Amino acid sequence: MKKRNPLLITLFWVLVSLLTLFPIYWLFVISVKPAVQLFSTPDVIVSNPYWGNYTDVLGNRLLRSYMVNSMVISTGNAVLCTVLGFFTCYALSRFQFRGKESIFFWTITNRMAPPAVFLLPLFLLMTQVYRVEDFTLLDTRIGMILVYCTFNLPFAIWTLRPTIDAIPRELDEAAYVDGASPWKVITEIVFPLCRPGLAVTLILTWVFAWNEYLLAATLTNFEARTLTTGLSEYVTTTGTEWGIMATISVFTLIPALIVFGLVQKHIVAGLTFGAVKG
Amino acid sequence: MQSNKLGWILLAPTLVILFFFGVLPFLYVVFVSFHQWNPFAASPEMIFNGAENFRRIVFDDAFLSSLGVTVAFVVFAVLSELIIGYLLAQAFMKEFPGKSIFRTIHTLPLIMAPIIVGSVWKLMTTPSIGIIPHYLDEWFGITMNIGTSAPAAFLTIVIMDIWHWTPLVTLTLIAALVSLPRDPFEQAQIDGANKAQTFWHITLPMITPALVATIFIRLMDALRTVDEVWMLTGGGPGSSTRFLGVHIFKEVFPKTNYGYGSTISVIVLYLTIVVCWLLYVSMLAPRKNRKG
Amino acid sequence: MTRQNATQLDTAPLSEEENEKKPTTTQERQGFLPIETNAFDRCFISVVIWVAMSLFWFRFIEPMGASIWISNVIALAIAVHIVRKG
Repeated sequence: MKKRNPLLITLFWVLVSLLTLFPIYWLFVISVKPAVQLFSTPDVIVSNPYWGNYTDVLGNRLLRSYMVNSMVISTGNAVLCTVLGFFTCYALSRFQFRGKESIFFWTITNRMAPPAVFLLPLFLLMTQVYRVEDFTLLDTRIGMILVYCTFNLPFAIWTLRPTIDAIPRELDEAAYVDGASPWKVITEIVFPLCRPGLAVTLILTWVFAWNEYLLAATLTNFEARTLTTGLSEYVTTTGTEWGIMATISVFTLIPALIVFGLVQKHIVAGLTFGAVKG
Repeated sequence: MQSNKLGWILLAPTLVILFFFGVLPFLYVVFVSFHQWNPFAASPEMIFNGAENFRRIVFDDAFLSSLGVTVAFVVFAVLSELIIGYLLAQAFMKEFPGKSIFRTIHTLPLIMAPIIVGSVWKLMTTPSIGIIPHYLDEWFGITMNIGTSAPAAFLTIVIMDIWHWTPLVTLTLIAALVSLPRDPFEQAQIDGANKAQTFWHITLPMITPALVATIFIRLMDALRTVDEVWMLTGGGPGSSTRFLGVHIFKEVFPKTNYGYGSTISVIVLYLTIVVCWLLYVSMLAPRKNRKG
Repeated sequence: MTRQNATQLDTAPLSEEENEKKPTTTQERQGFLPIETNAFDRCFISVVIWVAMSLFWFRFIEPMGASIWISNVIALAIAVHIVRKG
């Protein structure tokens, strides 16, 4: 192998990193410019930031409610998926029944299905079939929480399975011999040992739910709209409010960036269904 | 027996949710695809019309062009990502200062919402405010307008996808390259193999499993790209970036043609399943042959 | 409390070991198809071929006057052949 100058490689990677970071930085630049300055010569350096867009977005009642919806839906969904995923993996790992590998495999196929295909049937089912009197799941937070399970629950099962399989069975058995109830075994013995895996699953499912757009755009009208759909509402053919759009994007981006450091090591494994350990 | 009952109780909520939001929608969409159903048309009832919808879809130019655009996009994007990703992964195998920081930065786009990626690139490339068209015009005299030029819009979307997803390819290939044994490479060097020979005969066969897995995942994601395209171009100009997902989103809901829309969905699902299944089999086949 | 335990932790779906454990439900065999298949795989392949054939027929052959039922009969014959010998 040729020995290349490590400095050259570093320089190369600085360039790649700049290419990666610049579009995100540009988003920030647009968000701190007043509308009149947008169309002049594009300046890369921001000399005196203008925070008007941020106060506008935070002062907008509608966008605030979208933020709350996003927060409630993604948190609810992440908790639900992690808990159910944990139960499922425990059952798959500790019990024997026919076709359990088929169940496991079937759950993952749910994740692979393209959401665009399920827009129409979900919309029709939620308006026509899944209803109690006048109450439908359409445009409700609980409806969105359940819909997001279609892609997040398989993900949770897939990522939690190795974690739970790695916990020695002897621990459970010893507890059963001591007369502990199954519930106690699950909550007091298995659960604490799984905490790191559960935390990663919780964070990643949360991010996926937070990032989702297509299903939210179709299955909500007003009450349960999320921040990502709010973003697309600001893009119109006649006149897009670029500053506001950039600011909403920043707000949507921030939570993902905050948790990024925590799950950075796991994101590749997460996105490849554990096929690759990052 | 008691313990098995507990197992089913633990499984039940998952199975129920996935049944109602995964299996039933699938069965329902297949069911509706054999009907004529437009609740806002002259006859709002759902009428069984056999395979009429399928007869119509194979002659539907809008759908077929959307299919063509999708295939072109998937091939371009995934191929470029594989090549660039491999080169970056190789560049990463050397030792250099700040390695982990660069790796972290490189991973960053992966966690971004697709729709935010779309909005980021919209702000970069929209003619009036974007920095790319501005400097292309100022430095090279090239006019770039993704709102009117179909090639520009298509290319922008490919570049956006490369920007978004190449890191995934890079990281999976780094993982594959790191785990390779060193001996074959040293042997090849002794035998005087050049770089291309080493790549074709040693590196490539050894990273093939990781490569196929990466292609599998990328292909699946590329086939269902909607959010970023919807944000960036809305499928336009014309129908130049109207991918299958965008086509469903744009065609079915405004026209409320539920019967025919279901047919489009079924065909898209069919194509996705076939592609995924073929890749899955090709991923599994070598493993089986080795064993048997 | 009776607890049945798996003798090993099986992680990969459709792994070879799994199939040996349950020979009745998912028996794989090597037929004329290039891969080992179980009953479900063969049905799946048949359906895929049936749909592909029907769509092809609608586009190119039906306009020439041949009914779709001919395609269906052929597809059924292929399906029977695959399920039995595949």
